[in-house]
Amino acid sequence: MTAVNSLIAVIGTLIVALLVSVWLPGIERKFVQARIQQRVGPPISSAGIMAPIKFFFKETIKPNSPMPRLYNALPIISILSIVFILLFIMPQLYIFAALTSIIAIIGLLKIEEVIYMFMGSLSKSVMSLKMPFPDIVKGAKHPDTPRSFLEELSSLRAFRLIAFGSFPLYIALFVPVAMSKSIYLSGIVAYQQIHGPVLFTLAGMLGAVVFFIGYMILLNEYPFAILKTKADVIEGPLMEYAAKYRAYVYLTRGLLMFVLASLFTTLFLGIPPNLFSWNILVTIGVALIFPILMAVMSAFSPIFTYKQFYPTVAGVSFIGILAIIFSFL
Amino acid sequence: MNKDNKITDRKVIETEVTMGTVHSAAIEPYRVRLFVEDEMVRDAEITIGINHRGVERIMEGLPVEKANSLTEKICGICSNSHIWNSCLVAEKAIGIDVPERAQYIRVIMEELERLHSHMLYLAHGNEVLGHETFAMRLFYIRETVMELLRMIGGNRVQYGASIIGGVRPRCELDEMRIQKIREGMDLTEEKITEFAERFVSDPMIMSRITGVGTLTQKMAIRLDASGPTLRSTGVEKDLRTVMEAYDPFEFDVITQDDGDVKSNLLVRVFEIFEAIKIIRQALNNLPDGKITNRSWEMQDAPITKSYIEVPRGTLYHSYALEDGRVRNSIVRTPSVANIGAMQYAAVGHHITDAQLAIVQCDPCFTCTDRAIQIIKI
Repeated sequence: MTAVNSLIAVIGTLIVALLVSVWLPGIERKFVQARIQQRVGPPISSAGIMAPIKFFFKETIKPNSPMPRLYNALPIISILSIVFILLFIMPQLYIFAALTSIIAIIGLLKIEEVIYMFMGSLSKSVMSLKMPFPDIVKGAKHPDTPRSFLEELSSLRAFRLIAFGSFPLYIALFVPVAMSKSIYLSGIVAYQQIHGPVLFTLAGMLGAVVFFIGYMILLNEYPFAILKTKADVIEGPLMEYAAKYRAYVYLTRGLLMFVLASLFTTLFLGIPPNLFSWNILVTIGVALIFPILMAVMSAFSPIFTYKQFYPTVAGVSFIGILAIIFSFL
Repeated sequence: MNKDNKITDRKVIETEVTMGTVHSAAIEPYRVRLFVEDEMVRDAEITIGINHRGVERIMEGLPVEKANSLTEKICGICSNSHIWNSCLVAEKAIGIDVPERAQYIRVIMEELERLHSHMLYLAHGNEVLGHETFAMRLFYIRETVMELLRMIGGNRVQYGASIIGGVRPRCELDEMRIQKIREGMDLTEEKITEFAERFVSDPMIMSRITGVGTLTQKMAIRLDASGPTLRSTGVEKDLRTVMEAYDPFEFDVITQDDGDVKSNLLVRVFEIFEAIKIIRQALNNLPDGKITNRSWEMQDAPITKSYIEVPRGTLYHSYALEDGRVRNSIVRTPSVANIGAMQYAAVGHHITDAQLAIVQCDPCFTCTDRAIQIIKI
């Protein structure tokens, strides 16, 4: 494959990823969930395409933040980190060995997670402002208590997600590594081309289940949406985003769905995203199946608090560890 | 730690997190200040009166019929309860006999209102739990009852059924309407049974609502909670058992023992079946005769009080009559006491459960926000 062909493949795959990813939030939230809930729901293009377009044309307002420029820059950093993950799992870039290892992928996913912490701590929305008359003048309780913004709560929760919430995903990523005994994506793909997909082994199946739960946690989807639950923190770290910055947030979510699905096909099926191969249809298929499964699961579960979240993560992580042990057998 | 194992007197309170007056978990404006320590609520303060309208002040001096109509505007969910109780005040004060058929129709309207109120409560509770599918399902089931109310009263929200001396002629129940109500009750019972079975057998929901927002029986009595909120703590108190209008009907007073969100939700689920039972009895034994007694004369009367059991608890109305006009009107809704109790119930739980603990008492802030605050500057 020549350098030009590789370049075309990389750019083409990126374009396909973007074109597919904009439909995924619509399929997930509106198309599947609305039908489960026996309501019509808005058009399928609404969440992923029409909403970002609308937001791109809205007036940009300054967010309530101590560092508004940094706050506005965070969704761009987030989307870039996801684009880099997609680039590094493309076979054309396997020549950059260090960057196309599972360690680099995890590092980039961590950037995506850490950004939520920054977003939460930099957002100071009107939702938590003081109301001196009812809060203090009328003789309220604890008048001198320091005030915390709702987004700060989200920031703390983002920290907890980094600390333990994303365990399942990262454990699942190491199942193919353990089987192929290589941390490089090229090695993992090559192993599967010889021995067949990891998914069709016991360890691979368990790993896939754990990966899917990790996928839901990383996407902050119900029932794991502790970062942005309507019952307390509402939109959480994303509360102050408006106009084009909110559009970036929406695009990021769709793209992350596609990228995680691509990562799954690469690690568990040995099929990296490549425009010049019919196998890209498998990647697109998985990218469509995951949101549908996620929508079904989230439609039938209430949101978790730590009381449910900790045992779920611990249980799923345990299954992931079992999968890794099985992969050595 | 106090005697109910609620930590309210801790010296270390880390931060305050404020929710409201506008918040996605609250469908009405109110303000909650939560004092949290590592996301656990150590103390809570609920502020009401954000949207006060001074209905009692507006009622002052109005002709009694107009004042009664105005009470219906206090709340969109229990509008029938308000106008019924307001009419009862005038009927008691002047000594008006209400025809038996009208009493039955009033009871049918009230129980239909209880049905839709409880279903709205369950839907909202599920929404706060994050279970949108159950919430949507309940709204879908509730639609049958809303359509029945529209058929009888002409509106989905404010039916204007009760008037002094009976019910409005347009709310008369003919055979066609009775048949539709019967069919509606059969459908509602079937769907709610299905829902209840799925709801109680869902381990994730049970895990989220069991032991959350617990209000002990002792505290519920001390804080003067009423209605299903009180009954969920095991107190068998329902004003319908002593109300004259409910004398002809057989029904059970539903209680649960734990006083938590689960008990509150289950009390309402079972009360739905009791309401259906009452409506069926009323339809089966609906007496013949007129529905309005117009042979009464307006007269002055001292302050007269009336208490009735509405979907959320005990509703109180009182006023005096002077030249056919209302004087010294007072309305006390059950939410006033219940919301105060929830300030206590929210303590000791995770911050995500705080709104759930508050919502468990089915708070109605439009009902509650009528008090006039006189502010001296």
